[in-house]
Amino acid sequence: MAFMRKILYLLLVSFLSEIIFADNVNVYTSRHYDSDDALYEEFTKETGIKVNIISGKGSALLERIKSEGKNSPADIFFTVDAGNLWKVQKEGLFQSIKSEKILSSVPAELRGPNDEWTAVAKRARVIFYNPMKIRSSEIKGLTYEDLANEEWRNRIVIRSSSNMYNQSLVASLIANLGEENAEIWAKNLVKNFARKPQGNDRSQIIAVSNGEADLAIANSYYIGIMLSGSAGKEQQEAAKNVKIHFPNQNDRGVHINISGAGILKSSPNPVNANLFLEFLLSKRVQKYMVDKSYEYPIVKGVLPSSEISSFGLNFKEDNTAVRQFGELNPKAIRLMDRSGWK
Amino acid sequence: MLPFTLLIIFCAPIFIVLSSLFGEYSDNWIHLYNYVLVDYVSSTIFLISGVSVLVFFIGTITAWIVTNYDFYGKSFFEWSLILPLSIPPYILAYTFTGLFDPFGDANNLIRNIFNLGSDVSIFPNVRNIYGAIVVFSFTLYPYVYLVSRSAFLNQSKSMKESARLLGLSEIGVFFKLSLPIIRPAAIGGLMLVIMETLSDFGAVDHFAIQTFTTGIFRTWQGMYDLQTAMQLASLLLLAVGLFFILERNSRNKAAFSSNDSSFRPENEIRLSNMKSLWAFLICFIPLFIGFILPITELIYWAFESESSFINQKFIQTSFNSISLAIISGLLTAFLALIINFSIRFKPGTIINRLSSLLSIGYAVPGLILAVGMVQLLIYIDNNFLDSTNIVLTGSIFGLLLAYIIKTYALANSSIESGYERITSSMDDSSKLLGSTGWGMLARVHLPLLKTSFLTATLLVMSEVVKELPATLILRPFNFETLAVSTYIYAAEERMFQAASPAIAIVLIGLIPIFFLSKMIRSSNKLG
Repeated sequence: MAFMRKILYLLLVSFLSEIIFADNVNVYTSRHYDSDDALYEEFTKETGIKVNIISGKGSALLERIKSEGKNSPADIFFTVDAGNLWKVQKEGLFQSIKSEKILSSVPAELRGPNDEWTAVAKRARVIFYNPMKIRSSEIKGLTYEDLANEEWRNRIVIRSSSNMYNQSLVASLIANLGEENAEIWAKNLVKNFARKPQGNDRSQIIAVSNGEADLAIANSYYIGIMLSGSAGKEQQEAAKNVKIHFPNQNDRGVHINISGAGILKSSPNPVNANLFLEFLLSKRVQKYMVDKSYEYPIVKGVLPSSEISSFGLNFKEDNTAVRQFGELNPKAIRLMDRSGWK
Repeated sequence: MLPFTLLIIFCAPIFIVLSSLFGEYSDNWIHLYNYVLVDYVSSTIFLISGVSVLVFFIGTITAWIVTNYDFYGKSFFEWSLILPLSIPPYILAYTFTGLFDPFGDANNLIRNIFNLGSDVSIFPNVRNIYGAIVVFSFTLYPYVYLVSRSAFLNQSKSMKESARLLGLSEIGVFFKLSLPIIRPAAIGGLMLVIMETLSDFGAVDHFAIQTFTTGIFRTWQGMYDLQTAMQLASLLLLAVGLFFILERNSRNKAAFSSNDSSFRPENEIRLSNMKSLWAFLICFIPLFIGFILPITELIYWAFESESSFINQKFIQTSFNSISLAIISGLLTAFLALIINFSIRFKPGTIINRLSSLLSIGYAVPGLILAVGMVQLLIYIDNNFLDSTNIVLTGSIFGLLLAYIIKTYALANSSIESGYERITSSMDDSSKLLGSTGWGMLARVHLPLLKTSFLTATLLVMSEVVKELPATLILRPFNFETLAVSTYIYAAEERMFQAASPAIAIVLIGLIPIFFLSKMIRSSNKLG
């Protein structure tokens, strides 16, 4: 029996999580792009610091960090959803970023109010259209607000309201137009849907390409993935039929969302965490990242991938809302529920 | 005492979820009640009913055909009909849209063959509740097939012969005699199907259907209201629990299965050519939709993808998946064995109730279960272990605990039905011969339950290989399983890259299925 007990004990110990002493940085991330793995390896090669990853849904990672409290092994929380950054910030779990390198290269509106987090890459939520079907006079100067007009009845596709990018878009409209007007807007937009919301952003672009709808609202980087051919020839062909329109160029600008990261207060390796963020925001790494993910870079002087650049670079960005998305997100969801946006 | 302690530990995360019912109720409830709750409930009920009806018929009819008739392909279908069990519903959902979307591969193929314009779509839209019903039914029907088949095998041949002599047609024998007799067993399998459907998030989310489960996540992730989400999940659990009790009561009253081992093995009826073709088709369709179709699409995607997948990381990932599956399979089956053994000698005790409660764990959406798990593990970490370090959370140990809770129902149903075949007279004889207590379990029950124990282990294994949400959040640093690799691509709908790990999930899921089907082939009586 004593022998058995020893074996059981050994088994148990080997099941317990490895306690990390060496030079590490522990990243909780909801961003899981294949290309990011290569970046992490590069970071280890340069600095000797090992990058440990747990990836999962932002909200679930947040619960884990909260429960782990002061003993949490997490150094960095990295997410594709500004809302979750705001939540961690509100819970007071982030420390302020002090690095001059970061503060000088990231514009203030793409950081937390007290530098709790910083954007790492950004994407625009744009309008896709088929230039063979839509006259340029129709599309010129088009705003998000215009999409609710009657002339677009049954002509617009967009994915479901469960999608966080739609929630952020509606949150930005609440911030800019007020809740009441945003709700009227949403109700009218729903009337203009060409079909029940379904599929991902790419399905919306494809629907425009094959004539099922005239306008699609989707994130900018999807067209890059499609054009690159990594998603197959059909999608590549489909992508060639559509163009991007950047809405609201005469007023606040196109809606922007971010991938962002911050260092946790309880971080056991804050120095490494800081190095890691500086690494992500260095020009070289920014270029590598956006070439693979088709996002827009945060650091000035870095160009997006050639596919994305071909749609134009001089557009105006809405910088009012990034910080408010999180706060307004619950309102946005309830508003979409009320307006029948499935 | 041991079974009781174990059950308390394993039920704790479920208690944590349920405890939310005693917390505060936020204003979001008013919103949910006014705008979406009715939708969530009605679409969930519609989904469950549709899946139940379809699964019941696919499972029982195919089982009936392969046990009673000799036709072309019979011995192949006998085991291959359980293959869809290796396909997770979310993967079938992804391949379905990949095939049947307006620009999906199936539509493209038809257009190319018949030279049709790009505005023509042959196949109907699958991104709706009907599509979801098909997806769940064709991946989950094997649960009903397995139990129905073993129940049909145990049916008296003489009873069927009398029925035929008294003028019942073959269809009459099925509907009027055999089906009513195996109903309790089939409903037991159906319960598993219902619970798995309720806990699924991946497939319904992909089809953008608003069900109770997607509602739970919307409330949590969009409205940032975990408390209300947990309350919603608790209501779901209570509903399942109620259903469970009702089902159990109806099953207890209807104990049809006979333990008489003197039944002669069934002589199969040879079918004529035409009928043989029909039997072949009826068995082929579920296998085709639930297995051949998705596998073909996955292989096609894998070929389209440029990146090679077989490398060091892949081997490590597969190793992780396999070892987790084996360990949790054995542990869960063992737990179910101990619990059922205790219940046998003290029926109606609290252990019995707790065991039912633990079975409900199968219906908890994985992420919600994970939240309960994290809270439990941290509590143990902070209060009983090293208070300056986190040991259990993010350990393999925590992960195994979650798997056991998530899959206990599978192991339990298999062991339970195995125990139903061991008569109390056998217990009495073994007592007379000097085997009591745990000795009886080891020397008498375990040998008799060998097949049930193996089935339990294998069912749990095939489920663990597929499990995603709890794995994602509870795993240690840098610990990837195949399901995790698939998700990382599928979440971005990069299906070409997702195909290789998805195929690997299916292949590894096939290992337990292979043993299961071998058992089916070698023994006519599945314990």
